[in-house]
Amino acid sequence: MKIVDLMLKIDRRIIYLILAIVVILPLIIPSAQHVRVMAPVQKLYTAVDTIHPDKALMIDFDYDPQTQPELEPMALAILRHAFKKKIKILGLSLYVQPLGLAKAALDQVTGEINALAKTNSDSVIYGRDYVFLGWQPPPIVPILGMGESITNVYKKDFYGNQTDTLPLMKQIKNYNNVELLISISSGDPPLWWVSYAQNRFGLRVGVGCTAVSASDYYPYLQTGQFSGLMVGMKGAAEYEELVEKDLNIHKRRKASEALPSLTYAHLVMIVFIIIGNIGYFIKRRQK
Amino acid sequence: MNFSLDPWVWISALLSLAIFSFLYKDNPFYKFAEHIFVGAANGYAVTFYWHNILVPSLFDPLFRQGKLLYIISLIIGVLYFTRFIPKISWLVRIPIGITIGYYTGASIPAGIQANIIKQIQGTILTKENFLSWHAGNMGIVWSLILFLGVLCTLSYFYFSREHKGVLKITSRIGIVFIMIGFGAAFGYTVMARVSLLIGRLQFLLGPWLGIIK
Repeated sequence: MKIVDLMLKIDRRIIYLILAIVVILPLIIPSAQHVRVMAPVQKLYTAVDTIHPDKALMIDFDYDPQTQPELEPMALAILRHAFKKKIKILGLSLYVQPLGLAKAALDQVTGEINALAKTNSDSVIYGRDYVFLGWQPPPIVPILGMGESITNVYKKDFYGNQTDTLPLMKQIKNYNNVELLISISSGDPPLWWVSYAQNRFGLRVGVGCTAVSASDYYPYLQTGQFSGLMVGMKGAAEYEELVEKDLNIHKRRKASEALPSLTYAHLVMIVFIIIGNIGYFIKRRQK
Repeated sequence: MNFSLDPWVWISALLSLAIFSFLYKDNPFYKFAEHIFVGAANGYAVTFYWHNILVPSLFDPLFRQGKLLYIISLIIGVLYFTRFIPKISWLVRIPIGITIGYYTGASIPAGIQANIIKQIQGTILTKENFLSWHAGNMGIVWSLILFLGVLCTLSYFYFSREHKGVLKITSRIGIVFIMIGFGAAFGYTVMARVSLLIGRLQFLLGPWLGIIK
């Protein structure tokens, strides 16, 4: 077989093998990679950082196991940031699958903070500092309903407590008491928040999305409909960088650890695309 | 190496490897893991809907608290199942009509405002839009490129006239913008898929094999 034919017909299993090697090696032998924070992530960080003490941050955890590697580091970084700044948090999910992962993220970060807390005010306490509202279908109904009253939509929280008995929910009635919503999602929810909560109630919306959705969502950042945007593992690594540098929080940075693997995998893909194209053009000239 | 002793980690790791085995070729291990996934996901969703939606939002108010108005919701919901009875299957149109009516009414004005009007406003050459790029004086250039890109791309999809003369030039430029868009989308898709692979490998090398922390 000629070299041109080889270039055009590389066995896909060889490609998978090379890809696996370049992804695994940097994980086993870690190397530091400088993370440069881009404007969309900085904008989101600033939006969280400047939330008024009387208002809350609402986080929509809409990621499932399929997109967990990209989106969970974002959720952890935002929670660490918000709890460190004593920002009140309301968590929820618009789908049923993310509930377990959302609870795990909240448990992890509140556990980290409470392990270091020395006084009651240093601690993060459920009902006082944060509430996990859970899930209420179909998605549009709670999005619209919370503009009037959050406790009417979520009569019980994820753990079965009556929401109107929780101290935080006595302060946070509806979107007037929520300064920013961050949708950490792998699908359409960010657009629903913009369409129904922002258009009608003026809620500011920030987004953490998978890389697949990025090209669809950048126009909404440019128009100002999104108050910041985090894209994929790279975006999560940028937020982790900001949380570590600005807030001096040193926790495991799962997204940042993965960046070298991501970089090398991209380089391999580029090389294979170039090889395939060279082979194609040589073959076409030969014909 | 520090292997996990947690049986759930082992089950998860072995199912992951069974799914990865499809990269070599289709095989019974892959099929087994695929069927487990479909079954578990459906079982989880059905039980969750039952315990968290149907019971507290319909059955409890109707049968325990005696709120008889809820019977309307129950009847409308049950009409979905008439699809299985050919003689009265037309009744399924009622719940479908209600659902479509609700969502259409809710989404058309909101969608037009968020996805069309605001997006058109974003392409207009105003000072606010120049500043929205956070790029100093280059904001004007980016806004101009965006403006031209939108017009040229729209002209490519204008099929009422043959693409000749000025329309030919603008539509050709439009194709370039479309191709750049496809390239960006493809690049991001690669990034997303590789990220998922990394996530799974972090699990296999970490909690399962104990090679990385």
